[in-house]
Amino acid sequence: MLPEFLSRTAKTKEEALSYITGLEDVKVLAGGTDLIVRMRKGEAYKHLVDVMEVPEMKGISCDEEGFKIGATTTHNRLSNSQFIKMNARSLSLACGLIGSPQIRNMGTIGGNLINASPAADTIPPLLVHDAVLTLESKGGERKEELEDFIIAPYKTSMKSDELLTFIHIKRKRFKDYREGYKRVTKRAALAISRLSVAWAIHEYEGLFHDVRLAIGSCTPMPFRPRIVEEFLKGNKKEEQIIIESVKMILEEIKRITGDRPSFIYKIPVLKDLLENILRG
Amino acid sequence: MFIGRDIDRIDVLDKVLGKPIFAYDLKVEGMLFGCIYRSKRPHALIKKIDIQDALSLNGIVKVITHADIPGENAFGAIKKDQFYLAGDKVRYIGEPILIILGESEKIVRKALNSIKVEYEDIEAIYDPFSSRDSTTLIHDTGNLLSYRTVIKGDFEQGFNESDVVVEHTYKTTWLDHAFMETESGIGYMDETGKIVICSSTQNVHYKRKEISKLLALPEDRIRVIQATTGGGFGGKLDMTVEGYIALSVYLTKRPVVMRFTREESFLSNTKRHPLYIEYKTGAKKDGSINAVKVNIIGDTGAYISYGETVCLRAAIHATGPYEVPHVFVESRMFYTNNHISGAMRGFGIPQVAFAHESQIDEVALLLNMDPLEVRMKNGLRRGSLTATSQLLTNSAGFLETLKKIEPFWKARKKQGLHTGFGLGCMYYGIGNTGVSNPSSCYLTFTDEGKIAFHSGVCEIGQGSDTALLQILLETLNVEERDVVLLRGDTDTSNDAGSSSASRQTYVSGRAVYDAALKMRKYLKSKGYYDCETLRGVCLLAKEEGLPVFEGFFDPPTSPVDSKTSQGIPYATYAFATHMTEIDVDKATGFCKVKKVHASHDVGKAINLKNVKGQIYGGIAMGVGLALMEEFVPSKTESFDSYYIPTSMDMPDVEIFIVEDEEPTGPFGAKGLGEPALIPQAASIVNAIKDAVGVRAFELPCHIERLKALIESEKDKWVE
Amino acid sequence: MVTIDFTLNGKRVTVDVNDNETLLFTLREKLSIKSVKEGCSIGECGTCTVLIDDETHYSCLTLSSKVTGRDVKTVEYLGNIIELHPLQEAFISCGAVQCGYCTPGMLLSAYSLLLKNKDPQDEEIKRAISGNLCRCTGYIQIIEAIRYAAGILKQNC
Repeated sequence: MLPEFLSRTAKTKEEALSYITGLEDVKVLAGGTDLIVRMRKGEAYKHLVDVMEVPEMKGISCDEEGFKIGATTTHNRLSNSQFIKMNARSLSLACGLIGSPQIRNMGTIGGNLINASPAADTIPPLLVHDAVLTLESKGGERKEELEDFIIAPYKTSMKSDELLTFIHIKRKRFKDYREGYKRVTKRAALAISRLSVAWAIHEYEGLFHDVRLAIGSCTPMPFRPRIVEEFLKGNKKEEQIIIESVKMILEEIKRITGDRPSFIYKIPVLKDLLENILRG
Repeated sequence: MFIGRDIDRIDVLDKVLGKPIFAYDLKVEGMLFGCIYRSKRPHALIKKIDIQDALSLNGIVKVITHADIPGENAFGAIKKDQFYLAGDKVRYIGEPILIILGESEKIVRKALNSIKVEYEDIEAIYDPFSSRDSTTLIHDTGNLLSYRTVIKGDFEQGFNESDVVVEHTYKTTWLDHAFMETESGIGYMDETGKIVICSSTQNVHYKRKEISKLLALPEDRIRVIQATTGGGFGGKLDMTVEGYIALSVYLTKRPVVMRFTREESFLSNTKRHPLYIEYKTGAKKDGSINAVKVNIIGDTGAYISYGETVCLRAAIHATGPYEVPHVFVESRMFYTNNHISGAMRGFGIPQVAFAHESQIDEVALLLNMDPLEVRMKNGLRRGSLTATSQLLTNSAGFLETLKKIEPFWKARKKQGLHTGFGLGCMYYGIGNTGVSNPSSCYLTFTDEGKIAFHSGVCEIGQGSDTALLQILLETLNVEERDVVLLRGDTDTSNDAGSSSASRQTYVSGRAVYDAALKMRKYLKSKGYYDCETLRGVCLLAKEEGLPVFEGFFDPPTSPVDSKTSQGIPYATYAFATHMTEIDVDKATGFCKVKKVHASHDVGKAINLKNVKGQIYGGIAMGVGLALMEEFVPSKTESFDSYYIPTSMDMPDVEIFIVEDEEPTGPFGAKGLGEPALIPQAASIVNAIKDAVGVRAFELPCHIERLKALIESEKDKWVE
Repeated sequence: MVTIDFTLNGKRVTVDVNDNETLLFTLREKLSIKSVKEGCSIGECGTCTVLIDDETHYSCLTLSSKVTGRDVKTVEYLGNIIELHPLQEAFISCGAVQCGYCTPGMLLSAYSLLLKNKDPQDEEIKRAISGNLCRCTGYIQIIEAIRYAAGILKQNC
């Protein structure tokens, strides 16, 4: 049973923004696959503003630096999009693995980001793509890197009068990347990621040119091991380098998070996964 | 011909149309909603209960405490040790204390939060070993609920004669039934003043008896009807909502509905018993198992439920389907302040099968023998003596189940780098253990010229209604349209016993056969099999005051010896062999179950399609038991923290049926519901060993455990 | 309280709903569609599955106000006692039903799959019903039934 609240359905972005600004104790509702579950467990708001019917917040379109995804685009749409498959394969794969068909039909990419779970499947792929978010409010709009947007587990920098409208993905530096997403779960479907890795790697004539890795469910927020990415740049694709760099990543994770009981599992798994990913 | 024919389930048309009425689909005018206030402490004295705030809420009609109970505040399937509503003491988190009744679910749930209970905590005991050693008593009778032994031959001599000995300890945890429909029911007082309960249940007559004691009313003042039931698996055998609804109807004189949320279901329902099994096997060079010594320690939780049953059944089945001359089994069940463990598909045997099948594989490894060969050599067969020295004289098709699997076992070929194959076998006594567990039913005629089949059997999805009807149609040689089934209603049926222990096809099936034989004689005497129509017979029957043909069957068993458990605990046994192929991802510890060959001796498959359905479902539950299912007290709340297999976790399955007919069963049939599950987890564990060389001693062997095992094996190599 | 109107199983319906009301509640308690079941209320079991614009949704997580102007289908849409949908026929003949509690949701997930994919492979079928838990059948006969129905539907067109 849900707590009591009043709900408004916004038909336009402007309408949504004025509800968000004008109403007291308000929460934006998109697909509801996280919010409604939390509310059933007791989380309460006076008002919900449903933004699923705002047409301009849906879908994929090209912009000057690459392309942008409307925040209420569903996981299903993203996983089926040929364009995403071609241009952000890791995101396409991740969106196809989230929850179940029903969850993918309902849940949105924006919702997944705002929920900011350490295990969110869309975050590592978007980190790999250096995604930038547009946050709009009555007073105007601002852009923020996804990496900065998530400030703690289940916590973002979004202000109460702001609305996440778009996710921007820049064109990549090189033409050919091998890109992917792998996650580990306790069962084959309808499961939360215990561990996830997104990657986009460009290599040429035995050298790493651009290595982008993002790891989910290990640290409080999914993260990019940038020091190691930098280290690998221009380095030879050799077993010793791979083992060395993975070791560095694991040490960084332990530094960020401290030692956790779950690391007994996660560290060796991540080690095997990352080594295999770098080997290609 | 109806036996062995894949007729469609009699309820299936309604079910694909979404029409069946489950308990919560029912509505009665003026219905109150009822909810249970449960203990938040594991072990405490109740000092004070403050219900004033709840009562002051608009829409709250009544708050019922233990003091309001007119009859006995006690229930239990085996012994009446559980309180409907706790009075002075609580013994687990979730123990019911109050019933809150109101005009709407909303107001009742609100009222739940306004109840204040003051507790005085007592030391809580969370595992059977602490329970054994603690001076804190959970019940006045002591913390040991039950101690059973199985003694056959001389185990010390047996080990002395053995060439190899394998000794390991195996552990399992709590599991939830996870039926898709949570516990629910409605109740009302009918125009004659009878209290009617319609609920999701595995037994109606048992529940009527309990309610009669609770309300201090004669049984004929109570009627229990089974609504369409969305799965049971043992979790709807104990009283769930029924007593509370009956009490509420009795005290308020108003109709009452109650339905547990999924969270309440996880919190309140019984669980599979976690067992700790120390297992020692001695074998001779030729592969014959000579001695088995087993020590089983179980956690029954705060109350008995089926704890004693599981204690004894696990002990009796500890050797597995093998003839062992020297057996010594000890089995103890301790109280703790954990959730109550109760009946769950297999009554402890899936746990012991995990142990004995792991042992058999280890014996084979030590002797450098084929695991199938070792099983074949020791397998129970006609003429064998079981661990209770019961001579198997009839249906005993274990070796045939092995033989069906043998060609696939011999042809097995590892496709992947970490592919593995494993065998799991089992035997399972059909019906209750060493006690009378009769079933009865009756047949008569209707005014419309049909045969009325009055059945007290609860159809919980397993297909019993269809199987029983097939037995009836076959025996009477009539058509489906000639029969009206009146079922699952204490007012229109005799006690058939519970839908548990894989007993309904065998026990109730035989009772139906018995009744049908009597009616057939009558039909014959009235010329039905010559030229008379059924309508004509019915008219004649009406003139004779509608004769009733009662059917009865009680499986021939004998109580087992209290010290040695020697005796005839079951009239017949089911046997099975599963062979499972898996792939392990060594990087992540994920085990993918790829293919299962399942071979079952069912005596006689009354309905092959439904037999297969049971086996597939059992395999799914076995995959869950082996790899993912784990109820963690105070962490598991709902399906987001309790994973059961999805469609994508399921392997391909090939089924082989052995029909070694059981002469006491209807048309030779035995039981199947639990056997379908029992060997599966064991076969997966053995396959994992084959795939990556590590053996799981604790279930579930989920990704984290499996990865840890793989890592520890790596370390060994480094050392 | 708002008044919403939408298409339910091909018919326009208008109903007053509370702001915090789920579609599961509206369908069951206000429109007497009892085939939609509650199993967990947190989107983890699939017994409450409905189709919205022919895509599967968990009605327990869907606020009723969301279906304004949309097309909602429940198992009642698929067939009736006189004319069953081939999927329903196949569920019967393949033994895909035991307790029946997951069946309506399962049928809708299957129906939605076959709208998009006329010739699904077993892996695609498994994926399509992976958001619908079943504790009785082990899914095998359900998968068989969906495969079988796909064959029948292909023949029919």
